[in-house]
Amino acid sequence: MFRSLVAEHQEMVLNTCYRFVFNRQDAEDLAQEVFVEVFRSLGQFREESKLSTWIYRIAVTKSLDHLRRLNRKKRFSSLKRVIGLADTADDIAAPSKNNPAEELAGNERLTVLQNALDTLPESQKIAFLLSKQDGYSNQEIADILETSVSAVESLVHRAKKNLHNKLYAYYKHH
Amino acid sequence: MKLINEKIELEVCKTLEVLDEIKPLEVQHIFRVKLMQRIDVDLKQKSSNRVVSRFDYRLAYMVLLLIINLGSAFVSLRQNADQSMKNIVQLADIQSDDYPAQEFAYYDQTTSYEHRLP
Repeated sequence: MFRSLVAEHQEMVLNTCYRFVFNRQDAEDLAQEVFVEVFRSLGQFREESKLSTWIYRIAVTKSLDHLRRLNRKKRFSSLKRVIGLADTADDIAAPSKNNPAEELAGNERLTVLQNALDTLPESQKIAFLLSKQDGYSNQEIADILETSVSAVESLVHRAKKNLHNKLYAYYKHH
Repeated sequence: MKLINEKIELEVCKTLEVLDEIKPLEVQHIFRVKLMQRIDVDLKQKSSNRVVSRFDYRLAYMVLLLIINLGSAFVSLRQNADQSMKNIVQLADIQSDDYPAQEFAYYDQTTSYEHRLP
């Protein structure tokens, strides 16, 4: 049963994680963590939502946790650099060159986008990123965020506006 | 000014397009193999943890029983020791006080006189 569940949702989970972290290796690790968590907690699933919604919610939570960890690490390594304890091994690994998104758009543009996304409120970021992925309807996003469809539409709209403003401000100064 | 704005808008659009241009990843076959291995390891760890916790529970129970046994043994030993000490003291009193009454003090004195004789 679990095998068929993995087979059914692996692609969606992997791509959901990838939308958040923009790195294949990290996305695969996260997707594995998602399914391990699903395996552990399957008995606790109360069928209050669809199984797929529950799984994708776990994927979103894991991806956000990963990004928070990365940001903490980033802040800590810049602090270390300031006080002169910089260790090259502690630096965040740059996304690998075989990342298709990077090949397509270039490292810098992706980094700018990631930084802009990081400054968005979490709900806006989730709604916006999921809306960009094929396979998620507004209803499904609303279920994941435990909100209404109109709220999702509003979140996506505000996210787009915020992102535009942030990117505009960035390119104005660079 | 308008030209600069247009240029900035173009950059913004290009950057936002990055998200639309990301092609979905295909899941590699090895993904499921790795996942199943990970779950196997997780299951083994879980079962060994369960054994360890069960063992801990048994060990704690055994230690508790041992403490109770030792405690009760110690208490009974102490009671017996008190009792036997009393008996010993009583016995010693009986042995040493052969002539405890005043009337028999003479015998003690005689003994001491005998000792004083050259």
